[in-house]
Amino acid sequence: MASGQKAKTKKNNSLLNLFVAKGSVDIPFFLLLMTIVTAGLVMVFSASYTYSYYHRGGSTVIFTKQLIFVAIGLVLMWIVSRVRYEYFRYFAILIAGVSVALLVLVLFLPEYRPGFKRWINLGFTTFQPSEIAKLGLIILLAFLLEKDSKIITGKIPSDLKLCRRISGITNGKLVIYKSFTTVIFYGIIIMLFAGLVYLENHVSGTILILGLGVIMLFMGEVKNKWFYIIGAIALLLIAVLIINPQILAKYAGERIVAWLDKDYSPMGARWQTNNSLYAIGSGGLTGTGLGQSKQKHLYVAEPQNDFIFAIVCEELGFIGAAAIIILFALFIYRGIKIGLRAKDKFSSLLVMGIAFQIGIQVALNIAVVSDFMPNTGISLPFFSAGGTSVVILLMEMGMILSVSRSITKKE
Amino acid sequence: MKRKPTKRMALRSHIAFLGLSVFMLALIGNLFWIQIINGESYRLKAERQQMSDTVLSAHRGVIYDSNMKVIAQSATAYLVYINPSMIKTETQKTLVVDGLSQIFDLDRETVLKKAEKSSYGYEKIIGKIDQTKKDELSAYIAEHSKDKLSTIIGIDPDTKRYYPLGSFASSIVGFTGSEDVGRSGLELYYNSELTGTSGRIITAKNALADAMPNDYETTYDASDGSSLVLTIDEVIQYYLEQQLMQAIEECEAKYAYGIVMDVETGAILGMSSMPDYNLNEPYTIKSEAALGAIDELETDEEKNQATNDALFAQWRNRAISDSYEPGSVFKIFVAAAGLEEGVITPESTYNCTGQIKVANYYQHCYHHTAHGVQTLREALPYSCNTFFITLGQKLGREKFFKYFEAFGFTTKTGIDLPAEATPKEGVTYYGVDKLGIAELSSESFGQTFQITPIQMITAVACLGNEGKLMTPYIVAKVLDADGNIIKETTPTVKRQVVSEQTAKTISSFMEEVVISGTAKNAYVAGYHICGKTGTSDKLTVPGENIASFAGFAPANDPKIAVLIAIDEPQGINTGGGAAAPVAGRIFENVLAYLNITPQYSDSEIESLTMTAPNLVGQTTTSAVSSSSNFTVRIVGSGEKVLTQVPSSGQSMPKGGVIVVYTEEDAVRETGAVPNLIGLTLTEANRKAVNAGFNIKISGATQTKGNILSYRQSVPEGTNAELGTTITVYFRSDQDVSD
Repeated sequence: MASGQKAKTKKNNSLLNLFVAKGSVDIPFFLLLMTIVTAGLVMVFSASYTYSYYHRGGSTVIFTKQLIFVAIGLVLMWIVSRVRYEYFRYFAILIAGVSVALLVLVLFLPEYRPGFKRWINLGFTTFQPSEIAKLGLIILLAFLLEKDSKIITGKIPSDLKLCRRISGITNGKLVIYKSFTTVIFYGIIIMLFAGLVYLENHVSGTILILGLGVIMLFMGEVKNKWFYIIGAIALLLIAVLIINPQILAKYAGERIVAWLDKDYSPMGARWQTNNSLYAIGSGGLTGTGLGQSKQKHLYVAEPQNDFIFAIVCEELGFIGAAAIIILFALFIYRGIKIGLRAKDKFSSLLVMGIAFQIGIQVALNIAVVSDFMPNTGISLPFFSAGGTSVVILLMEMGMILSVSRSITKKE
Repeated sequence: MKRKPTKRMALRSHIAFLGLSVFMLALIGNLFWIQIINGESYRLKAERQQMSDTVLSAHRGVIYDSNMKVIAQSATAYLVYINPSMIKTETQKTLVVDGLSQIFDLDRETVLKKAEKSSYGYEKIIGKIDQTKKDELSAYIAEHSKDKLSTIIGIDPDTKRYYPLGSFASSIVGFTGSEDVGRSGLELYYNSELTGTSGRIITAKNALADAMPNDYETTYDASDGSSLVLTIDEVIQYYLEQQLMQAIEECEAKYAYGIVMDVETGAILGMSSMPDYNLNEPYTIKSEAALGAIDELETDEEKNQATNDALFAQWRNRAISDSYEPGSVFKIFVAAAGLEEGVITPESTYNCTGQIKVANYYQHCYHHTAHGVQTLREALPYSCNTFFITLGQKLGREKFFKYFEAFGFTTKTGIDLPAEATPKEGVTYYGVDKLGIAELSSESFGQTFQITPIQMITAVACLGNEGKLMTPYIVAKVLDADGNIIKETTPTVKRQVVSEQTAKTISSFMEEVVISGTAKNAYVAGYHICGKTGTSDKLTVPGENIASFAGFAPANDPKIAVLIAIDEPQGINTGGGAAAPVAGRIFENVLAYLNITPQYSDSEIESLTMTAPNLVGQTTTSAVSSSSNFTVRIVGSGEKVLTQVPSSGQSMPKGGVIVVYTEEDAVRETGAVPNLIGLTLTEANRKAVNAGFNIKISGATQTKGNILSYRQSVPEGTNAELGTTITVYFRSDQDVSD
């Protein structure tokens, strides 16, 4: 990808210059990414072959598919990375709009798995609208937070009729600022995304969307007091859910019960988690060796998917597992670094948003797999097998790389 | 519009990252806790589910007869179970229920009920299925692999017990129940020896219970159970069973049981209770009489009870579990005690008037016969009650009881079989303190106490074994799975009960009983049989009795002892009439099988048997002239004898017929076998010879009374080759009461 010099040779083509990003990508970030992608592929192969053999009619069916999608994703990533980051802004509304449309659409499509309206069946593969919705939310919030930057940080009274009336009634004692109304507006956007994902019966997706939204607001300089309120509400919500799991949908509620009571229904609700723990525990310090997992032999449910990290722990041991977590941490940190060096607030927020999307997913996935929080279906970026997921992720990486080019570009 | 990221953004993103890092650190800490601190316990839990621990059931040992013929053996079979909790869909349930009920021909409702126990993890469907059925099931499971039947239906190794000889020795061998555990007979008594130790195969299995692709398998071999080599001889046992079965038919008896024992060792050569049952189907009632009786009952409850009773009745080894009053057979022990203690000599005389007053009652001889003045030698063949009452009284209760104990009637014999009846003082016999004059008198001729058949034959054999009482046993050797002997039974002498001399004297009296006394129907020419008969009332069934015979042979060096008891015989119902002929036939067959050379007396030789001369090669004329004792029947027009029937050296009766063939490929002459029943010896011989057949004489022939034939080995009307020997059985109808 180090094609900065090539770009220079095409200086004359001015029209193309308008669109083509110049400069070199961030090498540390790129290397970290490629390491993670490679490790992910290897683990998909190792974890999937038994499941694939029994459920897909061949040991390498899942791996091959993943390989193809990663290849497609890498090509798309390169293409996206060559797009000048300034243009992403123009796609913000579009991507967000398409996301919402798909989230609505999926609710009216036939259920791909009974009880769950998460997937759109494309025939050759399935596609989760929530995957793109994450990007949609990030890019929309980045766009809005940049646009409303002054409003959010400043003290401009709202010119909404209602707000002015309130101000009038209270004799100016209670002034509603634009920053307040704007954040409320953002809140509504986030709740719209989260609500639609929740309607898919996708609790983990909902949590992820909410978390991403809050982090975007936080990094987008929304005033501190908001986060005290949000933090308090979050804590309250968690407490209520732990005390009264039944208020959630049945399957989700039971998972909280199963998390609290380690002896609950070992053949049912805790089967996945217990087997995941057996796998992790079996790994010990150094692991059983690559390919040597026993738990992947259909004990760990869909070992190439949400629970792939359990197989990582079993085969690579504590050392390998910790190394991968640290690898992700470094990768995210490098992403933040790129974001902070970006040329504008939009691209900065976009890059950091994507980095934190990865970060939250990694953290939640590993927490689930190791019974650190209730079981919920959340995939491990670049590791969990999933075609559209990895393509979208790599395109997001393309965005980060594109931004990174602008940093190194000499102006 | 372009605004560089602010410091606040940098701060906040770092705070957020710090939060994330702290969370990740916590996750690493949690992994450390799971993998390093508790790794071992999780690994063990994982292994427990990954390792399928298949029990390799050890093959149960084989049971052989004394000639290493297999009586019982085990073959690999399979057990099918389901895990109802794994049935998730209606389709699965239907497939499981339909498949299993069809393949194994089971009631669909029963299988359905098991399949619906959704909270259970294990429901046995059927055990002891063979390889073919197992393959059929496996194919069915594979056929419906889409519905994951393999997660529901399981197949485990099981073993199946086969009894190749069916009902052979059923009351001794016994059978096994569920889990291959012995339920009766030797299968029960030697269960721990036969069972062996189960092995295990530990295999890594995936959650569908298929083997994982990697070679992770450890096998702990099963060590097969030990095998038993019995003292039972297939041939002897077969004779015994056959004769007992015939006896039941002929006497219309309820049961018949018998024991053949090696006199010198106490080894059981044959033991049977008839009617028996098929060991392969122990729960099928074999007796048609019992089945008929059950059918007539009205309520199911009664039927169930009756079925149960009939099953226990057919499994019962009456030869060791039943107690009976020995009757007159017991007199030989009283006689032995009298001689040993010197209260009587063989020549002491006593005048029998047919009755004797004991306390306030009169005791009688059988049919109130007055036997007159007689010695001990004479009293035994007559089975004179008054003689033995007097003898018992002379002995007195202490000495009487001393011998009662010494002959082993107060304890179990200790034979290695389960369910031997335990003698109980005050219940089955009188203790020495309770032996009043009345009790002592009745006991002296074998009444008012009960013993088991095995006690009786052991005591009788003691008299044939120079007075040494042996411990009876039925297992000669225990072999390990490789056939090495790990235990061999050595004959055990319990005690010297009477002196060798006394034993010899009593033996000679017993031979007299067979030659001229009540046991004359047990007579076999050439074999000097010693015996005594008994007829005793059944206390539990008024009007019915048990006819018995006990004895041993040959007299000069006893080899085998035989006890025959016929329970509730009809018609000729005495020991001498019903049991003795059975014993005689058994003696004859068994002694011949044991290659014991008959020692004929001169008179026996003269009247009974001659050896066929060799006529082959002689001219027809010389053949006729050289066989003056026989009738020669010439077939064909040749000059010289080419073949003869019977062949040279075969024993045949004097005056018998020898058919000689003078042409190559001459068609063997045949003729219809005549009726030879109800004739005297001479008549039978003449009739047979006239028809062109020879007879072999069996049974009582050396005695007084009407000796008439009662059975022939080849039925009347059969078309048989001329010259064929037909065995004709004779018996006496005189003085065989008791």
